[in-house]
Amino acid sequence: MESFFSRYRNILVLLAVLVAQIVGLAVQVRRVDSGGSSLDISDGSGVRLIRMWANALVTPPERLIHSSKLGADSVWNDYVDLRHVREQNQQLQQTIDRLRLEQASLLEDARQGQRLQGLLNFQEKYIYSTVAAQAIGSSGSDQSRVFYLDKGSIDGLKQDMAVITPDGIVGKVREVYPRSAQVLAINDETSGAGVILESTRIRGILRGNAAGQPQIVGILADQRIQPGETVLTAGGDQVFPRGLPVGVVEKVVRDPERDSFIHVIVKPAAHLDRLDEVLVITSTEPRFSQQEEQDVATSDQLKGPEVAEIKQQAEQKKAAAIMAEHLPGLIDPTLPPDKQPLLDNTNPNLVAKPPLPLHPDRFTPGSATTPVPDAVDNDAAPEDTPKANTAVKPKTSTAASAPTQKPAKPKSATEPDAKQQKIPQRNP
Amino acid sequence: MSVLTANTRRDLEVHRYPLLVYVMVPLAALVLQAWLPRVVGRFVWFDLPLVVTIYFALGRRSPIQGMLMGGGLGLFEDALTHHAIGVNGIAKTVAGFLAASVGVRIDVENQTIRVLLNFSLSLLCSGIYLFINRALLGLELDWSWLTELFKAVGNSVIALILFPILDRVQIRD
Repeated sequence: MESFFSRYRNILVLLAVLVAQIVGLAVQVRRVDSGGSSLDISDGSGVRLIRMWANALVTPPERLIHSSKLGADSVWNDYVDLRHVREQNQQLQQTIDRLRLEQASLLEDARQGQRLQGLLNFQEKYIYSTVAAQAIGSSGSDQSRVFYLDKGSIDGLKQDMAVITPDGIVGKVREVYPRSAQVLAINDETSGAGVILESTRIRGILRGNAAGQPQIVGILADQRIQPGETVLTAGGDQVFPRGLPVGVVEKVVRDPERDSFIHVIVKPAAHLDRLDEVLVITSTEPRFSQQEEQDVATSDQLKGPEVAEIKQQAEQKKAAAIMAEHLPGLIDPTLPPDKQPLLDNTNPNLVAKPPLPLHPDRFTPGSATTPVPDAVDNDAAPEDTPKANTAVKPKTSTAASAPTQKPAKPKSATEPDAKQQKIPQRNP
Repeated sequence: MSVLTANTRRDLEVHRYPLLVYVMVPLAALVLQAWLPRVVGRFVWFDLPLVVTIYFALGRRSPIQGMLMGGGLGLFEDALTHHAIGVNGIAKTVAGFLAASVGVRIDVENQTIRVLLNFSLSLLCSGIYLFINRALLGLELDWSWLTELFKAVGNSVIALILFPILDRVQIRD
């Protein structure tokens, strides 16, 4: 017996190690309803402990390497590579001035939107506070697209918090350790985020494929989806706030398993392969943050007269748009939008002139003759009447567009329309 | 063939290293494997813990030590992912065992043998990884053998550079 163990010692140890690891694997995987298997998302305490040990072993050297790299980069960027910095500074200052003006002009719309949402009992969540973190390491495997941050539960990070960059969304926090956190990127196969296509308003779920590309799955084939369309977060996944940039549509491919469905490959807005600094959204609120309010106040203070002028112009444009919708006769189609008489402030008692009729007759305002009903009824319609009717521009007043040659007997096709328009007015 | 077989006393001797090397080299492999993908992006065509496992298994010529080192490094690699812990552990346990078993019989100083062993054991590890995920665990896993081929080539190139460097730190009588 002793010789058996000594002779096959290596094989026996190998089998023991393999069996132990297979048993360990078995407890981590569970059956799902569809018949397949799935990894247990919530790690058991033992598994979590192993992950924590590995993280504690690897993170400090990674942090050291990363800080060394940052130090070398800062020495190079801050002291050596300073060409064109002055020009860039001037350009950035101009950009800040322009953005301040834009921000001030857009703020009123945003506040109005908030008020309307409050009336509808629907409150948009705004990013209220974030924590900046450095990406210091990865899983080291192309089968697992996770990376590690240098901030953890001590810094206020929790599971399922959204991780973004100024360019777009990156992923969500999967595991939190005291001084580090594991983030599941949006291009991993097990990730999931609710997204919406900006122009077509088609919703779907974003997850990664084997090549590490994010793709929208589970949507029906639609000819309207074209490359270049912007993809935004939909806000229904309880992780990412609504409206954050995700990327643009790169191409559309058929779902190999379902004929009528497609996969929309998305080019991510954030550089997922070369992440350096990210923001973790730690809280969202239905109002602007203090920092945003301060920025707006600074914009108002620094650019007061210009902002007031922009706001006035915006109000004028809105008023013109409302008037154009309700009183189309007051808009002169031959003039550009900024030359419209409505925007002329020099004459406060402006009365718009009605457009001139194409074929003036005795019913035309200012005509000296009085209409005679019999004569009108007996008049034969001139050959060019239909042409004259169709030539009338659609955005003119009703009086101007009415047929003038045969007023007593309009065309039968227009009669039901007139009745339908009158019925709602009789029944309040 | 006589070139490949271990027929001299020097060929069959067990390589010994300072304790610091046994600790620092595997740790460095784990750290670099986790950090380098941030530099090279999606071109993660290497597996440093596997290369280190094969090197020590070949040098030590002990299947038990080889499988324990491979298993340990594989488990740590798994722990850094969000997948089940043990898949890489099993694959590298087998790789360490086979490398040490082969190392007893052949001349492990030969660079060609080292490169060929790295290439073939890398592909074997990939196959075991795929088998465990699909057959044992029943998980859906998209797979590209081309990527695994690139990874095997990358491991061979790294071994070609790393093994002579590590040979310099071994303790010689």
